[in-house]
Amino acid sequence: MSGKKTFKTAALMKELMKKNYEDGLSAGKSGIPIAWVTAVSPVEIIYAAGLFPYYPENFGATVAARKVADKLSAVAEARGYAHDLCGYARCGIGDAYASEHPVGEIIKPDLLLCCNTQCGSLPKWFEVAGRFYKAPYFLLDAPQIGAEPEELVTNYFLEQLKELIVFLEEVTGKSFDYDRLGEVLYYSNEACRLWNEVLDTAAQRPAPFGFFDACFHMFPIVTMRGTKEAVAYYQVLKDEVEERIKEKNYAIPNERYKIYFDHIPLWPKLRWFSDLFASHDALVAVSQYTHSWAYSFDRTRPLESLAEQYTREFVNRFFNYRIELKLKLMRKYNVDGFVLFSNRSCKPTAIGLYDKRNIINNLTGIPGVVFEADMSDLRFFSEEQILAKLDPFFEQLKFSVKK
Amino acid sequence: MGLNTEVLKYFNKVTEDPGQEARRWKEETGGKVLGFLLTDVPEELIHAAGFLPFGIYGGEKGMSLADAHLQNWTCSYVRSCLALSLGGRLDFLDGLVIPQRCDATRMVMGIWNNQKPLSFMNNFRPPRQVERPSAKRYYLGELKRFKKELEEYRGLKIADDELKKSIQLYNSNRTLLLKLFDLHRQDSSLLSSRELYNIIRASMIIPREKLKGLLIRLLDTLNYKSPQKTDQKIKIFISGTFLEPLEIADYIEESGGTIVGDDLKNGFRYINGNIPEEGDLLQNLAEGQLRKIPSASFDNSINPRRNFLVNAVQEKRADGFLLLHLKYCEPENFDYYDIQQVLKKAGIPVQKIETEFGDTSLGQLRTRVQAFLEMLGGVELV
Ligand code: SF4
Ligand code: SF4
Repeated sequence: MSGKKTFKTAALMKELMKKNYEDGLSAGKSGIPIAWVTAVSPVEIIYAAGLFPYYPENFGATVAARKVADKLSAVAEARGYAHDLCGYARCGIGDAYASEHPVGEIIKPDLLLCCNTQCGSLPKWFEVAGRFYKAPYFLLDAPQIGAEPEELVTNYFLEQLKELIVFLEEVTGKSFDYDRLGEVLYYSNEACRLWNEVLDTAAQRPAPFGFFDACFHMFPIVTMRGTKEAVAYYQVLKDEVEERIKEKNYAIPNERYKIYFDHIPLWPKLRWFSDLFASHDALVAVSQYTHSWAYSFDRTRPLESLAEQYTREFVNRFFNYRIELKLKLMRKYNVDGFVLFSNRSCKPTAIGLYDKRNIINNLTGIPGVVFEADMSDLRFFSEEQILAKLDPFFEQLKFSVKK
Repeated sequence: MGLNTEVLKYFNKVTEDPGQEARRWKEETGGKVLGFLLTDVPEELIHAAGFLPFGIYGGEKGMSLADAHLQNWTCSYVRSCLALSLGGRLDFLDGLVIPQRCDATRMVMGIWNNQKPLSFMNNFRPPRQVERPSAKRYYLGELKRFKKELEEYRGLKIADDELKKSIQLYNSNRTLLLKLFDLHRQDSSLLSSRELYNIIRASMIIPREKLKGLLIRLLDTLNYKSPQKTDQKIKIFISGTFLEPLEIADYIEESGGTIVGDDLKNGFRYINGNIPEEGDLLQNLAEGQLRKIPSASFDNSINPRRNFLVNAVQEKRADGFLLLHLKYCEPENFDYYDIQQVLKKAGIPVQKIETEFGDTSLGQLRTRVQAFLEMLGGVELV
């Protein structure tokens, strides 16, 4: 549908992903402990302690993108894990028990570090996995930040980071390397900076880069944040995006509208969605999801800075903050409409979307719509129902007057 | 059915229309009522501030009112609570406290506040890890914050002796409720399973001073006919989040069973755990919470839930284990498989049954419960 050439960087990405998986496998063999971690967790500590971080959520997304979520999920469901649980968790648990591994086996943990800023599914999944793999489990607990003073939560988190470091020192038998932490934070900062510079190009009209591109290129920022390789990757990507601007090679052929999108994409239908929006000349330009990785750590006070930034992520925030964040991003990218995906896998991002739609709509007058599906499970996907929501939305876009 | 005493009738009346006690109390005292979602809320602090803590234990009717706000795959307990509020059935509330134990409770406050704002709306955020030193320090901080916000709302500090009195009152109510539980366990003809769990519900909404009097009176009447025999019934342990609907207790009894223990939010978890009355009271409250029986939201590795349950079943000499799976309750669902495995290994018969607030397919539920009880050697019903 879209006429643009694929990114040259795409090939590099495939290599990077493959290498990362292989590194994980060989780390296990050479005695480097594998630590399961969650997407919004201070992975910098894990790198600095010399462990190999592995992201089971990424495994879930891969399973989903390869359209085999139902197969792995069925294995978990046969054991009583209901289909309403987060799809990533279901597939992860399913893979543990499965005899066939359609996307390669999940890498087994030597320890599990879960940060619960994102949701309540991850800690439960990691508890189950900890029992299954007989590996120690550490919960970095982050109470949600609302209107209360934040210090209580950041101090609690900071104290836990110190507990985590002691825990890791016991596991590795080595004392924690703060110099190495400083280096890792530098790479995280650099990767985040470059990533966000790339994301920002979506604000140009027309734009060389959009949300669906971001979904493709986000693997390193999520799972390799803190490494040199991630920084190098985003430098190459940024160069390519700049080249595209010069060449007038845009994300979609005729960009007329910009759209804000919540939240995770429907992985098995990424292509379908990107074509659908492009066919209506609408560029999905921004999402709180892809914009979640925007850290800038203060290396002079590393632990404090980690505690502040990870607990203050929107995933750990209250209703009003999330509305403000959406509004801020919508303004920054000057969007013409917003589409909110009520993802039954992901309760924390989906619950409240109907009220948020109404509130944002009242405040901005911009058309917005909520649709129902699941990020990984096609059993809950109905093209008909989604089009019944999106078609009128695209109509509205045409008639809504641009401010 | 147990003795149909006056007090039991009264408890029934209270739970038939949960708002009436609160309304009457407001009229009489001019006080404020703070609703809370179940459980793990430091009610003692709310009570010490002079407010009436009102446990919103959900309801069956009018669930569709929540449809426009909460997707139908959201936990039905939370859906039913919001629906009660939207339907005007909680209009006597002045405030709302939501303990965060899962994503549903973490996210519903914003919707509620948007639809039915009250003058005091507060999330309460217990720690989810309960073993490391940081948990206790944080919990103490959260209690202080909550206390301060109650004080600001009240316009007056909560004095130490006010808190002490509230803790004493709550301790005696908990002790009385636990006695009732024991009595029921020994002889369910004195107090049936349904009556017991109905009293626990009522205990969340009746003004606590009055509750104490009622519980003492009830115990007096029942003790009068002190248990003569040990129950020959099939002993069932129930686990999950809620005993809902209450009819489940009837189905167990009509099939020759009785409930001897549970780990439910509207059961043992609510009535267990007295707080020391001397020393630093906030600290005592914090420690009390961290020592609570394990649940899906607050599991720990020192006393893992699975082992706790096996021990509880053995201690109560239960014949069977009924796992009540409240549909769409995420944290609980992650525990079931491992719990079942551990129970089976211990030779305890276990059955999982799906329940839901507002679900009317009672017939099915009854058949399932009956089938399990029959398997355990219960009465065969025609
Ligand atoms: S519930 Fe949402 S945030 Fe949590 S693991 Fe699943 S998709 Fe991610
Ligand atoms: S029943 Fe489960 S999902 Fe519902 S509020 Fe309680 S813990 Fe959360």
